[in-house]
Amino acid sequence: MTALTNKDSRSTLKRIQSRLPPPLVALILAVLLFLIGGLLAPGFANVNQAVNIVRLAAFLGIIAAGQTLVIISGGEGIDLSVGALVTLGAILTYRITDGDEALILPALGVILLVGLLIGLLNGIGVALLRMPPLVITLGMAGVVTGLIYFVTRGQLIGDTPPAMGTLLSSALIGPIPGVVILWLLLGAGMWLLLERTQYGKQLFAVGINRTAARLSGVRVNLVVMLTYGLSGMLAAFGGFVLLGFTQTVFLNLGQPFLFPSIAAVVVGGTVLAGGKGSYWGTIAGALVLQVINSLLLALRVEEAFQLIILGVILLVLLTMYGRQRSVRQ
Amino acid sequence: MTSFRLTVEKAVKTYGGVTALADGNLDVQAGTVTALLGANGSGKSTLSKILTGVVSPNSGSITLNGAPMRFASPQAARQAGISAVYQELSLIPDLTVAENIWLAHEPLKNGFVSRTLMRQRTQSLLDLFAGLYNRHLTPDALITDLTPDERQLVEILKALSFDPRLIILDEATASLDGQQVNRLFELVTQWKANGMAIVMVSHRMEEIFRIADKASVLRNGRTVGERVIAETSERELVELMIEGAGALHRERAPLVDPANPVRLEVRGLKTSVLHGVDLTVRDGELLGLGGLQGQGQSDLLMALFGAIRSTGQMIVSGEARHFRHPRQAMAADVALVPGDRGSEGLLLIRSIFENLILPSWGSYGTPIRVARAREKGAVIAEELKMVMSSLDAPVNSLSGGNAQKVVIGKWLLRAPKLLLLNDPTKGIDVGAKAEFYSLLRQLRDRGTAILFYSSDDDELLGLCNRVLVMHDGRVSTELFGDRLTHEQLVSASMGTPS
Ligand SMILES: Nc1ncnc2c1ncn2[C@@H]1O[C@H](COP(=O)(O)OP(=O)(O)OP(=O)(O)O)[C@@H](O)[C@H]1O
Ligand SMILES: [Mg+2]
Repeated sequence: MTALTNKDSRSTLKRIQSRLPPPLVALILAVLLFLIGGLLAPGFANVNQAVNIVRLAAFLGIIAAGQTLVIISGGEGIDLSVGALVTLGAILTYRITDGDEALILPALGVILLVGLLIGLLNGIGVALLRMPPLVITLGMAGVVTGLIYFVTRGQLIGDTPPAMGTLLSSALIGPIPGVVILWLLLGAGMWLLLERTQYGKQLFAVGINRTAARLSGVRVNLVVMLTYGLSGMLAAFGGFVLLGFTQTVFLNLGQPFLFPSIAAVVVGGTVLAGGKGSYWGTIAGALVLQVINSLLLALRVEEAFQLIILGVILLVLLTMYGRQRSVRQ
Repeated sequence: MTSFRLTVEKAVKTYGGVTALADGNLDVQAGTVTALLGANGSGKSTLSKILTGVVSPNSGSITLNGAPMRFASPQAARQAGISAVYQELSLIPDLTVAENIWLAHEPLKNGFVSRTLMRQRTQSLLDLFAGLYNRHLTPDALITDLTPDERQLVEILKALSFDPRLIILDEATASLDGQQVNRLFELVTQWKANGMAIVMVSHRMEEIFRIADKASVLRNGRTVGERVIAETSERELVELMIEGAGALHRERAPLVDPANPVRLEVRGLKTSVLHGVDLTVRDGELLGLGGLQGQGQSDLLMALFGAIRSTGQMIVSGEARHFRHPRQAMAADVALVPGDRGSEGLLLIRSIFENLILPSWGSYGTPIRVARAREKGAVIAEELKMVMSSLDAPVNSLSGGNAQKVVIGKWLLRAPKLLLLNDPTKGIDVGAKAEFYSLLRQLRDRGTAILFYSSDDDELLGLCNRVLVMHDGRVSTELFGDRLTHEQLVSASMGTPS
């Protein structure tokens, strides 16, 4: 009989969980952590800090947009070239504009195209050459980083147009920085892409069952290639946006964003196995990660402990989400 | 063997707001075949899973040999001698046949897993069905490489490997052909004589009357009656299952009007399995495809749909075509209901709605007009009488038969001109079958050309006026009119032309 009560209480927990979709869980967690932060570190929970956290989360969130698509596409989908492409996007913008505001848009065009092309190469590797995503995107990250070193020889010439800082990083409307507004727009765009286009619907199908998708007329390879292409493009765009914040470039500018870009997606409830997830989740995930990061910083926690705490929170969230995944019949 | 008796009383199981089982009762004994009958979604699989500890009931009692029991897990049930073949197959695709069968109870030698022993035992299990599967089915074959019927056989052998005292066969015959079913029933008769208890779920009434001793009928999650097979009739059982239903009504199609335009003409179609197939289907024709399992029927349908590579001539709607991707076939108004709904037909964790619309998203514009798509989905769900909590419920919450309806529905939505059906009534209940047949008749009368493979001979005989029997990758015999009889169909299936 003990087994019975046990199972019952577990199913109540499950019921509560299934009422709350993972993005909401993550969002609530972000707010809770922020408030707890206020208790632990007096002066932490104020408007300025909130704005700052959202602003920093926006950079991560934008960089993780493509990662979301790739993970949804399934087949062990993951994009490890995101970091290198962020760096590339920033360096190219820095170099092309050389501080000239008139060249911002042309530079944007160039980096979007370059990102798309490199991403498509990843996609070709995955879809046509059947290479494991982990391998090809890791290799691509190496190639891109190597090329940057080779071409620049470590000498990073250029400048950031002042307008980029004003438009993206500083307060634009009231206290709200431009990047946050951009993030919301991207969020709306990603929702449209995933939920209201043929591509989005087919992407979920591809992520779950490629045979069934193909037999329903989905061009699986095309969808996969496009997804990696989009991921490359969005990562390069992330680099562009990030430049508005850092104002300067260095050779491993993007690399620190790689692991968090994956973590944000997963914390937001997108299933690593593919076929299920949302960009709202990634937005919430990026907020959670940033709150934790800022809080630990405010508490002056040692870096080693920061990593441990982050790891534990990830594990707890993932086991919670894992439970509510419905088992197959 | 000591006597074995298992009874379930007043079992209740709910999932959230959905009641899967409201009052399930079952009484099984050693040496008896108990049929568990009921319409799709009536709770048969749920009740079976309660017996095997997979599902834990909200309430109800289980008694094993007079003592109250509660199985906390499938392992616990297995220890009590209960094992089952589930409707949705459970094999791991990347493991071998032997590894799957002996998973978690590998034969040991000196405390270590003995692969030799495992292979030997697998082989002797396979020998039970000797001659009824392809040569590539060996203990070392990977599950991915097996056809659906072979997977089903492995699934049965896996259940058997536990040496159970009660074996539950949940629609284990749905994807087997006539000969394989015959062999299975011979085995069941042996098991019975040895004192094993057998519970069997099947939507094929003739099978019930061949093998079962008694039947327990579920309707909407409630056990509504128990009958001794020798003292009942098909009609009585069907009426118990579905209130106010008559017996299954099949009506053979009239011969197609030879003046109807040819929708599909195939000459010398070859794949790795097909060795040159010729056939013609006209508009308004329901052409049957028969033969033993795995003689190339699936390959033929897949090749016609552009899903696998083929060579040969194909003329669709008067134009020479060669589809390289299902998409091209769909553009030419061809649709295929694939044979294995789990692996080929469905996105199990997505909603019913998304599954229904998957082939058709393109026709709702960008941004997708979701409301319009939903209306379409609701209409087809209604037409097929799907039992579901809502269109947004995930497909894996549906009963087997209702899931099959989703696979059929997603193609009916596209109003195809040529419909390719790969064993579409697998797991569908008697009532839904009758509806499906009348749907086929309607489609045919509207001029749809239909190529219909069924592993159920009675279905072909009852519906089609012309049947192509396949053997070893070729159409070996064409049967129509007076020659289309059960005897002819069986002898043609064996590859003995008469
Ligand atoms: N995991 C689940 N979550 C929600 N509902 C479920 C789940 N499993 C079963 N159901 C519902 O419970 C009911 C009974 O399902 P069950 O699978 O037992 O039917 P069945 O008699 O085996 O039908 P079939 O002949 O189609 O296989 C159905 O309405 C089904 O939708
Ligand atoms: Mg069932």
